[in-house]
Amino acid sequence: MRNKMKKTGEFIQKKCQADDYVLRISRNKKLHTRFAQNAITQHIDGENLQIKLKVAFDNKTGSASVNQTDDDSLKKLINTAEAMAKINKPDPEFVSSEKEHNLIELEEPAAATTELKVKKIVNDIKNCIENAKKKEAKLSGISQKKINEVYLKTKNGFEGYDESATFSHSMTIKKENVETKVSRSVRDYTNFSMQEMIDKLNEQFYSLQEPRKMDKGRISVIMRPLAFLSWLYYLMWTFRMREADEGLNPYTDQIGKQFFGKAFTLCSTTSDSQLSTPRFYGNGIPAKNIDWIKNGVIKNMQTSRYYAREKGIEPAGIYNFLVEGGDSKEEEMMQKVERGIILNNLWYIRPVDMKSGEWTGLTRDGVLYFEDGKVRNSVYNFRWNEILHDVTKRILALGPALPVEHNAKIPTVLFDNFNFVDVTTF
Amino acid sequence: MNYVELALDTAKSLGADYADIRIQKAQTERIILRNLSLKDTSLNELYGYGIRVFKNGAWGFAHSNVFSKDAVVDTVKKAYSIAEESQRLPHGDGLKLAHERGYIDTYKTDFEIDPFTVPLSEKVGMMLEVNRTLMNYEAIQQAIFMLECRKDEKKFGSTLGSRLDITTVYLEPMFQATAVTKEDSQSRTFTEGGKATGWEYINSLDLKSKAEKVAEEAIMKVNADTLGEEKRRDLILDPIHMSLTMHESVGHPTELDRVLGWEADFAGISFATPEKLGKFQYGSEIVNFMANNTLEGGLATAGYDDDGVPNQKWYIVKNGVLNEYGTTRSTAPIIGKKMSRGCNRATNYYDFPINRIPNLYLEPGKEKLTPQELISNTKDAVYIEGRGSFSIDQHRVNFQFGGDMFWEIKNGKKVRPLKKVLYKSNNPEFWGSVDAICDERFFRTMGITNCGKGQPGQRGRMTHGGATARFRNIRVGGSQ
Repeated sequence: MRNKMKKTGEFIQKKCQADDYVLRISRNKKLHTRFAQNAITQHIDGENLQIKLKVAFDNKTGSASVNQTDDDSLKKLINTAEAMAKINKPDPEFVSSEKEHNLIELEEPAAATTELKVKKIVNDIKNCIENAKKKEAKLSGISQKKINEVYLKTKNGFEGYDESATFSHSMTIKKENVETKVSRSVRDYTNFSMQEMIDKLNEQFYSLQEPRKMDKGRISVIMRPLAFLSWLYYLMWTFRMREADEGLNPYTDQIGKQFFGKAFTLCSTTSDSQLSTPRFYGNGIPAKNIDWIKNGVIKNMQTSRYYAREKGIEPAGIYNFLVEGGDSKEEEMMQKVERGIILNNLWYIRPVDMKSGEWTGLTRDGVLYFEDGKVRNSVYNFRWNEILHDVTKRILALGPALPVEHNAKIPTVLFDNFNFVDVTTF
Repeated sequence: MNYVELALDTAKSLGADYADIRIQKAQTERIILRNLSLKDTSLNELYGYGIRVFKNGAWGFAHSNVFSKDAVVDTVKKAYSIAEESQRLPHGDGLKLAHERGYIDTYKTDFEIDPFTVPLSEKVGMMLEVNRTLMNYEAIQQAIFMLECRKDEKKFGSTLGSRLDITTVYLEPMFQATAVTKEDSQSRTFTEGGKATGWEYINSLDLKSKAEKVAEEAIMKVNADTLGEEKRRDLILDPIHMSLTMHESVGHPTELDRVLGWEADFAGISFATPEKLGKFQYGSEIVNFMANNTLEGGLATAGYDDDGVPNQKWYIVKNGVLNEYGTTRSTAPIIGKKMSRGCNRATNYYDFPINRIPNLYLEPGKEKLTPQELISNTKDAVYIEGRGSFSIDQHRVNFQFGGDMFWEIKNGKKVRPLKKVLYKSNNPEFWGSVDAICDERFFRTMGITNCGKGQPGQRGRMTHGGATARFRNIRVGGSQ
């Protein structure tokens, strides 16, 4: 496919009359096997293609995309994008396309992932369902195999190709009022063990009993990696330099300052073999190591190409998550505080107030109460309202960073004084 | 080449019990303007087909963007082959499909001016004018305008004999102003969501005067007081705000796939289980939720769903009692229903159709009542306009909502604007607390174009609506 993409690139280069252009071709081949209530409910096999062209005449831009590769479709693509640009109004924030870059070399996608067959996936799901049936429980989830290719070419000389493959599996077991979930994604299927997933699910399942209602209020929380990762997704969503400078988010005038807790360090890295890394992202920004927050100090924020030019810095976007871990085990965390809550996952996180950085959300997939170093019982779910960055100032302990998704290594973390503002009815 | 016949003949020859094909061309024009800078001006086209094969009670689905005899046949074979794999883990003795017959029909959204014929320069010019109006106010630091126009042309054929030609169009304008002070930033938004209509809708909106109101209220809001401690108060909610509340707390819980646990691993399940049908008091007696996929301008209005089932109108909640669900041909028989309500919809050709919320609205009150009269008759409340923060648990019981603009009501009068207001409630407390709904003169709709559901995720579309209503004794307070 790489050669076909290159050929399309040559066609565009030859035919496009615009002063500038960015061509992005992405192809995704996917197999999704979705199951619920111990049966397969959805089974999808197919391939998607998008050929997107953004052109500019001076600083007037237009873009179009198609998913057909014949010459007529490509000509239509060029004509549409160029016609839009010609009649468009000038964009005062226009930035010309990227020049040639030296990109990092990456390994080919793992054959164990790309060659994974539907029969094997269904066999594995069958084993998972058998495990649930032994407990008279219902299992729901999805197994997904994805192969992605991206080709990017610009008028100013950038040309890049990237190929990746991932396998992911998630499953939720439910029996009466006990429900819990595990999920994992990997680049190389040889690093994935369905038996480990089943064992982890069983461990979580057996740790939960009929939940009891507990009062809302502030209490210590052990947030397991999946929960902490969903927290980080939302934290980083608003972690943008331009919005900070314009007074729209909590980070105004905070770059270089100790704004997060000292125990909190987050980066994106090309140097960790367990983490997926693209060769480039956006419209041709080469992937390189980026410190976002180091020992609580803001080092970089996400910055668009336009705003980076205005500030005289390099553009930056988050492409994977590595949170520096510690050496605390969960049992040790439980000893550090008198009482607290263990969270497997968070749910429906939404902003409450962008400027202060306050967000809301709920707990999900099993909540445990501990006291005097021991788990006592399951409890009902809670709603929390918290200022995301503020919570990092209340980190009491961190576990080792674990690869929970193909693009994230995250530790378990112990937070003090977590703000639960409501208790749900289950 | 007639790919519809080819696909269906191939599926039948392989031994499919049922098959359908959806050939779909989707065009989306998107323009995003921020502070007079065009962040996106694009016209995107997706063209391809999805083929479903049903065999021995199990589904297989495959899709392709390659239009050739070989590609269509291969895609049918792929769908058939994975349907066979699905049969290894069947739902009970295998899914049954609700009874349906074939239809030969066409459907087209009713519009005067095709939005795709309006020149880009006119669209951008109109958006820049609104953007400039917003930015004329010194305190407005960020002005955003997003416009999306979409056209779907769909050919649907099934082994039941259906041959449907469906063209739907919608457009969605949305703009927002953010006012900034040294201490705070607050936004105010104009949106009615998407509407299945033509460009004449934009021409009818008088966006410039709406922009002035939005900018002025954003400034008013950033300088407003907060509410303080949470306590029980009355709420008056406008229809745009209520559209989101009903979407989350009535629409999703009454999707039958969710009720059956098919979304348990991702979007969650539902408290509104089948034994509650006809018994569960979902709301007060004046609460009637109508599902109506024939609603003019409704985003789920398309003549037929992606099972080939005709659009219908029915009560989800009647006189406050849970009455029925939104169903599909696969889900309806599981609870003993012979026919589907026609709620199976896919977003793009490569998406497998899933059980979706229909157009769903709160019926207006039967007695004459204006929003002003409702406020005049209320002693201590918060009046909320527009959509803000929203979050609900995975069983669809407990929720917290914010809003876009807040006003304190004291002794029948709007006394001051407020900011950062939140309310918490649950089902059935919330809809059970409704004691007044304004009449049909004040009915307004709000079209949702980004309802995320399914794995892989899809952006569903449907329209909600209502007239301003009062909710008694709800937990309302300020954020931190």
